[in-house]
Amino acid sequence: MVTALALATAGCVSPASPPSLEEQAQDLDKSLICPVCPGETIDQSQAALAKQMRAIVREKLAAGESREQVLEFFVKRYGDGVLAAPPKGGFHLLAWTVPPVLVLGAAAGLYALLRRMGRQRPRRGEATGGGDLEQKELAPYLARVDEELRLLLGPSGPGSPLPPGGKATGG
Amino acid sequence: MAELGTVTLHLALVLALYAGAGSVAGKLRSSSSLLLSVRRATYLLPVVLAVATLSLVAAFVRHDFRVEYVARHSSLAMDPIYTWVALYAGNEGSLLFIAFAFSLLSAAALALASRSLAGSLPYTNAILAGVSAFVLGVTAFLANPFQTLPVAPPDGQGINPLLTHPGMFVHPPLLMIGLIGVSVPYAIAVGALLTGDRSDAWVDQARTWSLVVWAILGSGLLLGAWWAYTILGWGGYWGWDPIENVALMPWLVLTGFVHTVMVQKRRGMFGLWNLVLIAIAFTLALFGIFINRGGPVPSVHSFGASTLGWVFLAFLAFSVAFSLVVLLVRAPALRGTAALEFHFSREAAFLFNNLLLLGVALVTLWGVVYPLVSQMVRGVAVTVGAPFYNQVNGPLFLALVFLMGVGPLLPWRHASWAVVRRAIQVPGLAAVLAASLLALVGVRQPVALFAFGLCAFVVAGVLQEWARGTWVRHRRGQNLVAAFASLVGANRPRYGGYIVHLAIVMVALGVIGSSFYGTQRDVVLAAGEQVSVGGYTVIYRGTRVETHPDRTEFFHHLQGMKGQRDLGPLVAWRAFYPDRRMASTRAAIRSTPVEDLYVVSTESLEDGRVVFRVMVKPLVWWIWMAGPVMILGTLVSLWPQRRPLVESAAGAKRAAVSAVPVE
Repeated sequence: MVTALALATAGCVSPASPPSLEEQAQDLDKSLICPVCPGETIDQSQAALAKQMRAIVREKLAAGESREQVLEFFVKRYGDGVLAAPPKGGFHLLAWTVPPVLVLGAAAGLYALLRRMGRQRPRRGEATGGGDLEQKELAPYLARVDEELRLLLGPSGPGSPLPPGGKATGG
Repeated sequence: MAELGTVTLHLALVLALYAGAGSVAGKLRSSSSLLLSVRRATYLLPVVLAVATLSLVAAFVRHDFRVEYVARHSSLAMDPIYTWVALYAGNEGSLLFIAFAFSLLSAAALALASRSLAGSLPYTNAILAGVSAFVLGVTAFLANPFQTLPVAPPDGQGINPLLTHPGMFVHPPLLMIGLIGVSVPYAIAVGALLTGDRSDAWVDQARTWSLVVWAILGSGLLLGAWWAYTILGWGGYWGWDPIENVALMPWLVLTGFVHTVMVQKRRGMFGLWNLVLIAIAFTLALFGIFINRGGPVPSVHSFGASTLGWVFLAFLAFSVAFSLVVLLVRAPALRGTAALEFHFSREAAFLFNNLLLLGVALVTLWGVVYPLVSQMVRGVAVTVGAPFYNQVNGPLFLALVFLMGVGPLLPWRHASWAVVRRAIQVPGLAAVLAASLLALVGVRQPVALFAFGLCAFVVAGVLQEWARGTWVRHRRGQNLVAAFASLVGANRPRYGGYIVHLAIVMVALGVIGSSFYGTQRDVVLAAGEQVSVGGYTVIYRGTRVETHPDRTEFFHHLQGMKGQRDLGPLVAWRAFYPDRRMASTRAAIRSTPVEDLYVVSTESLEDGRVVFRVMVKPLVWWIWMAGPVMILGTLVSLWPQRRPLVESAAGAKRAAVSAVPVE
């Protein structure tokens, strides 16, 4: 698989060079929505308006305008909806900030939870505080079952994979 | 035919209502004769719905334009083969098909679990019947496909040209079955929850059904991508369209579920979490059907606009409330029975995998609803399209690939850093080697290098696991082939899962290759002219035109060359439908594992010249090949096996734990 990969990318990789005008234009095509076709970019759509917009993109780039200038031109004409993704500014910053905040927040929460559970583990017999009665009551029994299982299955515990290094399960 | 359809549709609704209400009443009153009778009603439902569905198919095949739905979605001129599947070209028929498919799934679920889940089955049956009754009620009263016209028109309006593609036979049914199918593991899990069943039996059933639905939904998504790639004519396979997104979201959550449900099976943990997950998957699947069939969001899939939105929304709200109430009331009984040790355990890896999968799903959901948020809050129309999802979900997917590589290498419960280091040594080395090799041959894009390195990490990890296990068995005296077979046979869920991991890597390769590399040119060619793109030359030979009553078909004959090597003739097909002012294309694709040469004609100019888009797309081949590999892996995982000693010991431990009296 790795060789196929190497072959694949070797075939079509050009030495690092600044993107050509056409490449910039294609990138812009994928960033602009065709106003008359539901959910299609002007790169995808074959509507007359999309073709016109593609031509305008190329004209403007050839005239030396930047990517931002071209986008701004279309936003002035058709509104924010012409952009394939909300602009990263103003109210629409909300669209971009919610996802990372959500995921990072959840990750931090999960990490904290695991840390707490990890710390509780060594002093399982003691009161864990915070009303986790069932867990507390069960702890000694669980420890005993764990012990029995260990005797039954060897030190690697239930369900653990074969120890690394290719040795058969030790007793 | 129309009358038979309407009658059977209403009969089915009555059966579903009876099955739902009767199950609950039978369970509460412990009436075994009533329970038997409602089970029979559930078994009878698919038979009745088969009659309804077949009568709609027959109406299409026989061009019975007295039926309004048939007149709106077919015509005399359409390719007859597609009349067989035109029933799901619009809303009403799709709903009927969903109801039929779901009744089959429900009956199968009931039959499979009739012995092992006898206690909770009535509730499961009630939930399944409730979902059936909703779909049937909407179909019968708000979207009846058998509505007749006072006078039959001489011809119908024809089918949407984009739908006349071989993909029509498989992609829509798989997605519809997959989405509604999420209800099955949900109903099994909630049924067990309601009865307080803490045995392993429901976990097994829920796992089996979630895997089946997962594979169906996954295949549907892949086939949809392939359909888009061959027909939409822009060379993409995934557009982050709202409809694609809503099918992806439950699939992602199910992916998480099939992982953590294994932890529940093996270690007795995550019981509550798994119920939350399956409830989220169910909700997202209903949301998917709502967006599909009620459609408040503009999409390329808007084939049948409808006003069913509010009914679906109400049902969605009801289901969410139901899930919440059941979970809240029953949650205290579901505390995990084993403590989670942090450090590097496989359980922890599974949890982070869940976090990321759920993260991608929720971020995608946020993208789908953000246009509505913006519209409501600010009155500003805004589009959330591919650039948003690629930037936001891209890093999450990379992290998932990394976890997919690391997770399987970690032992359960607890691992010291030394053990972890030893486990990831070889895969890590493989990743570095692969990235260096690629850098040597000229890959400069850092993200692509990193991503390819991660893929190598996963593949090397899986191979290492296989090699180690095989070697251990080999040393005990089996020959290598037998050792490998018995290794996989001994823990099918795990080794089937590894095969699926390889399939995911194959998809990742294609996605990385085609999004970071590849070239595209739009050209206008006259017969005899040629164009060169990315080492390929395409010569336009000429066009053959075929005229049909509803369309004009253009067969653009091309010849492809790679350097000096002749690749043979290629045909880029395009059809124009004057009545609908729509075109449909079929790209000429020359596919190899290394790259695809992709030529599509987008327009025929009046002077006889043709506008072509010529693309070279690396590694796309791997995406399609991943489909069979994924299915193989799922089948291996699903294949029933006798319980090994370790597992029953773990089960005994849990049984012992639940036997401990709790004050």
